[in-house]
Amino acid sequence: MTVTETTPDTALPESAELRADDVAETPADEVVDEVLVEEISIDGMCGVY
Amino acid sequence: MPDTETTAPRPGATPATAGFDPAARYRLSPRVGLRPEPFGALAYHFDTRRLVFLKSTDLVDLVNALADHPSAAAAIDHTVEPRRRSAFVTALASLAESGVVEPAVEPLLEHPA
Repeated sequence: MTVTETTPDTALPESAELRADDVAETPADEVVDEVLVEEISIDGMCGVY
Repeated sequence: MPDTETTAPRPGATPATAGFDPAARYRLSPRVGLRPEPFGALAYHFDTRRLVFLKSTDLVDLVNALADHPSAAAAIDHTVEPRRRSAFVTALASLAESGVVEPAVEPLLEHPA
């Protein structure tokens, strides 16, 4: 992140605005807990068909 | 009302890997039909009448390749990038528990180079 010093009488340059990816950086290799398998029983569903 | 039951692990739950040995060789059970789907595959076990959603095409590839490797761990290492390994070990353990995959009994065939 770029840090720009300013005096009170000086307007902030546009380049000093915070960008979203400066604030919330997410590691590219972060592993999200994956749920790869889901199981259901179809017992009792005979009448549905 | 139909008697449905979901067994997806809850967030934060301890992975159910008991009974699954990554060092052993596994295969897709011959009592299971695997139908490709856009999200992965739908497995149906003809004995237990249970449906299992395989929610990743990589997991489907892994299950289909299990019997071609000397161990489940070797199949995972060959198919899945390291950072996703833990999730796939847990997934295979779940599939083993539900009978979708089972220890392979036939010898591993060596493919000529």
